[in-house]
Amino acid sequence: MSRAMRQPMKLRAVAVLVLLAPWLIAQEGHPLKGTWHGSWGVNAQDRTPVTLVMDWDGKSVTGIINPGVRSSPIEKAAFDPSNWQFHFEANYKDRAGAMARVAIDAKIQDVTNPRRSLVGTWTQGDKKGDFKAVRDN
Amino acid sequence: MLAAAPGKTGYWNAGTGGLTGKNGMNLPTNLDIGEVPFQPWSKALYEARRADQQKNDPHARCVPPGGPRQFHTPYGLLIYELPEAKRVLVLSGGGPRTWRVIFMDGRPHPTSDDFIPTFLGHSVGKWEGDTLAVDSVGFNEQFWFARAGYPHTDALHLIEHISRPDYNTLKYEATIDDPKAYTKTWTGGHYIYWVPDEDFEEYFCQDNNRDPSHLVGQ
Repeated sequence: MSRAMRQPMKLRAVAVLVLLAPWLIAQEGHPLKGTWHGSWGVNAQDRTPVTLVMDWDGKSVTGIINPGVRSSPIEKAAFDPSNWQFHFEANYKDRAGAMARVAIDAKIQDVTNPRRSLVGTWTQGDKKGDFKAVRDN
Repeated sequence: MLAAAPGKTGYWNAGTGGLTGKNGMNLPTNLDIGEVPFQPWSKALYEARRADQQKNDPHARCVPPGGPRQFHTPYGLLIYELPEAKRVLVLSGGGPRTWRVIFMDGRPHPTSDDFIPTFLGHSVGKWEGDTLAVDSVGFNEQFWFARAGYPHTDALHLIEHISRPDYNTLKYEATIDDPKAYTKTWTGGHYIYWVPDEDFEEYFCQDNNRDPSHLVGQ
């Protein structure tokens, strides 16, 4: 098979995997567990991307913000399943490497959906903006 | 012991029965739902799943039926003992037509370092008199282990007891041991009736999904 013929087949295979992915790897355990992608900002134009990776050890939610060289462990995690409200704090390193204390208050929306959302506020120093992240499948 | 008699055919008519409540096919020893020792988050998630009529049940999207779900998946069930291979196979006629292996050779469970969690987990079994006792670990969190929507985590440890009190009746009982989702272990089960002289039809969820009511809003 020629390279030109293989390329469309590869693309089709990738497309099939992408389409099937939501069904293949949906997370049905603790509703906060998993990887979440989103952003925060003080307005719709000035957004900062945020990645959360969280786990549930049976007693508390653990995790990190922005895995990698600037990752920050989640602290003071408090989850109230009666209203799906989640609070956590962190010593957050921004893109310039500066450290800031952040506090996030968010609510899980559409909790039974594998692609559920965390929606709320992000407070960083004297700035307060909106925050939204969607859970990866 | 759990299959058709030699020269006969038939299958277990799975499809009804559950782990809580005492109605219908359920065991009289089952807990009522209010007695299940949920953690707060698992209770809230269970109630949310019930409130939205289980529209996000992964099983409706052809995800394999792990654990007790295999014993109440519609379109039948077969249990074959393979003494030469020291295995028991549990074959589902419904869903994605799953088959599960129960190792009967005395092997231990693999350590978590050696095993990637799966839909069906890792099962080892032994006979306790006429009862097949199965111990399973290594489940992923990508399915609901029962139709009702009880949550579980990757810490799920499942102990099942399967027996045949008479030729036409299977007794299925599962103990749920998941300390990340429940405050203590709990047990429930149900009976399944034998369908004599028939084989189950060929049904594949992916080809002809008959559960569209659970695809609402998707």
